Amino acid sequence: MTLSTIPPRLPPEVFRTGVPSGLRGMAAESPVSLILWFALALGAAWILPGLISWTLLDATWVAEDRSGCDPSGACWAFIVNRLPQFGFGFFPPQERWRAAVALVWPVAALAIALGPAFRGRAGLVAGALAAYPVGATLVLWGEPLGLRGVGTAQWGGMTMTVYVGTVAFVLAFPVGLVLALGRRSSLPALRVLSTVFIEVWRGLPLIAVLFISVVMVPFLLPPGTELPRLALALVGITLYTSSYLAEVFRGGLQSLGKGQAEAAAALGFTYWTAQGYILIPQAIRAVIPGILNTVVALFKDTTYVLVVGLFDFLNIVNAAVADPHWLGLATEGYIFVGIVYWSFCFLLSRVSARIEWGMARGAAREART
Amino acid sequence: MTATAINVVGLSKWFGDFLALDDIALTVPRGCSTVLCGPSGSGKSTLLRCLNGLESWEEGEVVMSGRPVGHRPRDLVALRRRVGMVFQDFNLFPHLDALSNVALPPRVNLGITRAEAEAEAEMLLAQVGLADFARKYPAQLSGGQKQRVAIARALAMQPEVLLFDEPTSALDPESIGEVLDVMISLAEAGTTMVVVTHEMGFASRVCHEVVFMCAGRVAECCPPQRFFTDPETERARAFLAQVQY
Repeated sequence: MTLSTIPPRLPPEVFRTGVPSGLRGMAAESPVSLILWFALALGAAWILPGLISWTLLDATWVAEDRSGCDPSGACWAFIVNRLPQFGFGFFPPQERWRAAVALVWPVAALAIALGPAFRGRAGLVAGALAAYPVGATLVLWGEPLGLRGVGTAQWGGMTMTVYVGTVAFVLAFPVGLVLALGRRSSLPALRVLSTVFIEVWRGLPLIAVLFISVVMVPFLLPPGTELPRLALALVGITLYTSSYLAEVFRGGLQSLGKGQAEAAAALGFTYWTAQGYILIPQAIRAVIPGILNTVVALFKDTTYVLVVGLFDFLNIVNAAVADPHWLGLATEGYIFVGIVYWSFCFLLSRVSARIEWGMARGAAREART
Repeated sequence: MTATAINVVGLSKWFGDFLALDDIALTVPRGCSTVLCGPSGSGKSTLLRCLNGLESWEEGEVVMSGRPVGHRPRDLVALRRRVGMVFQDFNLFPHLDALSNVALPPRVNLGITRAEAEAEAEMLLAQVGLADFARKYPAQLSGGQKQRVAIARALAMQPEVLLFDEPTSALDPESIGEVLDVMISLAEAGTTMVVVTHEMGFASRVCHEVVFMCAGRVAECCPPQRFFTDPETERARAFLAQVQY
């Protein structure tokens, strides 16, 4: 086409200014802004030198115990020494690869979600997560696979945190969907049941939920059945999370126009096929940021399992801080805990931002007709 | 197959205390197209939505292809697989492209394979003049294109009857023409259609019968030639004067 060879007509140079950027832009900023920049620089100059020398320059990375650490710097040797325990709990050392599999599995799924796109990526990530509860339990437990059996009392550390968070999320997802549909059902009994269920679990503190599930649920089980405390705690966290997810899903379902359900009905979809093919896929898309927000909250809340005596990541660091060989290293321990939790949550928020960005780009593409 | 596609007998419907449909009687012969028109609030859309059970009613009976339209969910699902509907607001599924919008319903509800459904969908999109738009999402289509996809989607279920609920009311004047062209060719091919519309051009050119509704009642029911040249009621004359200037 000859038309495309004509250069596009651009706006005159004088109007081509946007938000000021870089140093040139800073000169154009107001005095208040300059003062704030100056204050920030001053604060950094005051804090950073001490911080850097404590955390890095004067820090000790290798030592046998506390006495081997330089007292003027951080004693990271404590963390390095205990790293396998922080990561894998009390898992037998020769079986730690299994704990590593359970730990890396969901992280790898998230990394794939963040990485370059390819055909079938969403299906792969969803499949990996859906298979996790059964898959990771088998790998950790080991006995059904013909591996050496490792009881839940020996599970712990970051493996426990990631396992509890992922299993609770994957199981709570379908339960939450069913609850959301129930709360919007036209059958009054179902609606009341779902609403009461959601409000009860949402209205209790997670710590209370954990005590209830670990102390009270065994009374409801037939006598003689014994479930590990971890399983009972998982049931509690799953139900608690499902009630939050149910409300997120309900928001998504409510955001769909009535026309979608009518169009599906008019085409002969049944209630369930309309939900499965038409309504739920749109509802989930609409609330992905809300879902990931719930996941971040869940991930941090998993640490409450310490109140029923499980050694998740925080609790195992807690225990290590009390070790007589490494007394007085709480600062290093909790800084490490903070960095690890923050990194995980940051990864999750990047995934959320990535999905939102992808959807915004899709919407922009769709808007260009 | 009976010669009567739709038979409505003594249909009454209330919204609370408001009598929306008052003792409606209506017969749509197979292969004919019927236009429902009338002032807004006259109950024409409500009547149309009763024909595939999107609205319930309190009295009377709707018989579709010899079978009464009940209120049981299972019967309604079976009925709606034989009755297509086109909405004013298109109601395409925004998460699916045009091809999947057309191919998904027969795949799920008629149990045909994906390959068959997509081949059929491509043919239907070509029939409504959108062969090149199969991979576009609804948000990438103009109003007229969306409505033509919606017609293809309704046709994909191979319905015995097609219902149109003001199919051109949400469109700009240019798009109205392209949608009407599709509807006219369907009517000329002998599709059984019931159309709620204000497009009197469509009514006078292709439909076999005009049903004029007023205040929940069928005020007039006659062939278009007579309706447009010599309406019986004063209300219809006033209505025609309004819509035709």
